Amino acid sequence: MSSKYKILVIEDESNIRNFIGAVMNANEYQTLEATTCEQGILMFASHTPDLIILDLGLPDKDGVEFIRTIRQTHTTPIIVLSARTSEEDKIESLDLGANDYITKPFGTGELLARVRASLRNNRPGAGAGSLPGEKFTLYDLTIDYDRRMVFMSGEEIKLTQTEYNILALLSYHTGKVMTYAAIIKEIWGSADDGSIKKLQVNMANIRKKLGSKPGDNQYVINELGVGYRMNEENL
Amino acid sequence: MKKYKIMIRDGIFTIFTLLVLFAINLVIEIVFDTRTLIPMIFVLGVFLVSLRTQGYFWGITASLLSVLAVNYAFTFPFYAFDLISPECIFSAVVMMIVAVMTGALTTKLKTQEKIKAESEMERMRANLLRAVSHDLRTPLTSIYGSTSAVIEHYDTLSKEQNLKLLGDVQKDSQWLIHMVENLLSVTRIDSSKVSLKKTPVVLEELIDSVLVKFHKRYPEQGIVIEIPDDFISIPLDPILIEQVLLNILENAIFHAKGMTELILRVELLDKKVLFSVLDNGCGISPDIQEKLFSGYINHSDAPTDGSRSNMGIGLSVCSTIIKAHGGSIHAENRKEGGARFYFTLQLEEAHE
Repeated sequence: MSSKYKILVIEDESNIRNFIGAVMNANEYQTLEATTCEQGILMFASHTPDLIILDLGLPDKDGVEFIRTIRQTHTTPIIVLSARTSEEDKIESLDLGANDYITKPFGTGELLARVRASLRNNRPGAGAGSLPGEKFTLYDLTIDYDRRMVFMSGEEIKLTQTEYNILALLSYHTGKVMTYAAIIKEIWGSADDGSIKKLQVNMANIRKKLGSKPGDNQYVINELGVGYRMNEENL
Repeated sequence: MKKYKIMIRDGIFTIFTLLVLFAINLVIEIVFDTRTLIPMIFVLGVFLVSLRTQGYFWGITASLLSVLAVNYAFTFPFYAFDLISPECIFSAVVMMIVAVMTGALTTKLKTQEKIKAESEMERMRANLLRAVSHDLRTPLTSIYGSTSAVIEHYDTLSKEQNLKLLGDVQKDSQWLIHMVENLLSVTRIDSSKVSLKKTPVVLEELIDSVLVKFHKRYPEQGIVIEIPDDFISIPLDPILIEQVLLNILENAIFHAKGMTELILRVELLDKKVLFSVLDNGCGISPDIQEKLFSGYINHSDAPTDGSRSNMGIGLSVCSTIIKAHGGSIHAENRKEGGARFYFTLQLEEAHE
C-alpha cells in the first residue's frame, strides 16, 4: 500500500468517533471526522475519502439523506452504523446504495473486517461481474465463472441455473450484504408476493448442496430479515 | 371483512339455537302435554344467544323471533299470528330486556378481561425494570472503578494489571449489552394493541443465526441440533425469537450445573412448531419453578458464587415475547435428569 486509505467517519457521539479513529489509525488508515450530515458532505467534497463510516442518527438530518446525496454522483463505499431495532433502516440504506451495515454495539474486529471488505469490493471491476478466466475461491468452494460450474474440494456440485446465478451474484459482492429485494431484482427481474419465499427455497437448496449445517455455515451468511452475504476468509 | 365473518357466524349460531329449542318445545308439548315450560325455554335461548354473540343485534333478533315463535306455535290461536294481544307485547318486552341485559353484562366482562391482561403486562414490565435497574449497578460500578484505576495509576500498574482491569471492563460492558438487548426486546412489544411485525422466517436460517451468535459468546459450549430436514417457514419476529432461544440456552449455561449435553430440538406438530432446549444438568429446583418466568426470582435465590446471570430477567423476557406471539413457554424437569424448556409457535398466521 503506497498511500494510506482515507476514511471519513460521520458520527455525532465523540466517544464512538474517538475509538473508531483510534482503531483505524492503529491499522494504518487515515481518518477524517464529521459530526453532522452537512459537515460530512463538505468534508466529502474537499477530501474525497476512500470510504465512509456513517451513523444513521445524526443531529441535523437523517443519515439516509446523506447516502442519497452522495450516491447521485459517487460510488464511494459507505458503511452504515445502525441501531439493533430497525431492520427497515438497514434495508432502506442498503437499497439506497450503502455497501454494508454494522449493528451497534460492535467490536473493533468486526468493524475492521467490514472496512477491509468494502475497500476490496470497491476496486475497479469488483462487483460488476467476472473477468474471463476468473475464479472465486472460499475455503473448499470454487466457482468457475467461465464454465458456470461450482466445485467443493474439486468435486463438482450440480446446481440449477437459478441456484448458480444466486451464488455467483453473492460471490461478486463477497462480504457485502445483499438485501432480498436486491437479489430478487438481479435474478428474476421483477418481484411479486412469492419472490422472497422462492429465494429462500433456492437458498435452502444451495445450503444443502454445499453441505452447510446450521451453526456451521461457512459460505453464505444469513442476515435474518435483511438478506444474505457471501462470507470471506478471515484475514 | 372480519366483522362480516363474525356477524355471519353469530347469525348461524342464533338460528341454530332457536331451531333446536323450537324442536325441544315441540317434543315437550307432545310428551308432557303442557305449555308452561315453553316461554322459559325460549328465555334460555335468548340468554344463550346474547351470551355467545357480539353486540346486541343477535340477542334482540333472537328475542323477537322467540316471541313470534311462541305466539305462532304455542299460544291460541295455534299456527297463526295474534300480535296485538297484551300478553304477546308483554312477553316481547321481557325477552328484549333479558337480551339487552345479558349483552351488556357480557361486554362488561370482556372489557374487564382485557384490562386485566393489560395490567398483567404492566406489572411484568414494572418487575423487569425494578430487577434490571438493581442489576445494572454492579457492572457499572466495576466499569467505573476499573477505568478510574487505569487512568489514575496507569504508570504504576503493571501492563498485565492494566490489561486485566480493561478486560473486566470489556466483560462487564458485554454483559450490559445483553441486558440492554433484552430490554429492547420488551420495548419492541410495545402497547398491547399493536400486534407484532411477523415476517416469514426459514427455520434453518433462524437456528443458524442463533448458533452463530451463541458460539461467539460461548465458544467452548457445544450444542446438539435436532431439526427437521424440510423447508419450514414460520411467521415470527426474528430478532425477538432469536433472543428467546439465546436466553434459554444462556440460562442453561448459567444454571444447569454439571451439564454435559445441551440439545436444541425443533419438532413439527400439526400446524405448530415445538422448540425445546434440553440439558442434563442439575434440573430446576422446586422452590423457583413456579416463578421461573415471572421475573420475581430474588437475589437470595441467585447463585452465591458471585456470578451474574441476568437472574431470571432473561426468562421473563422470553415469556413476554412468546405470549406476544400467541404461544406459551414452559419448563419442567426431565425424567432422565436435567431441565427441559419448551414453547410452540403457530406455523400459519391465525385468521382471526
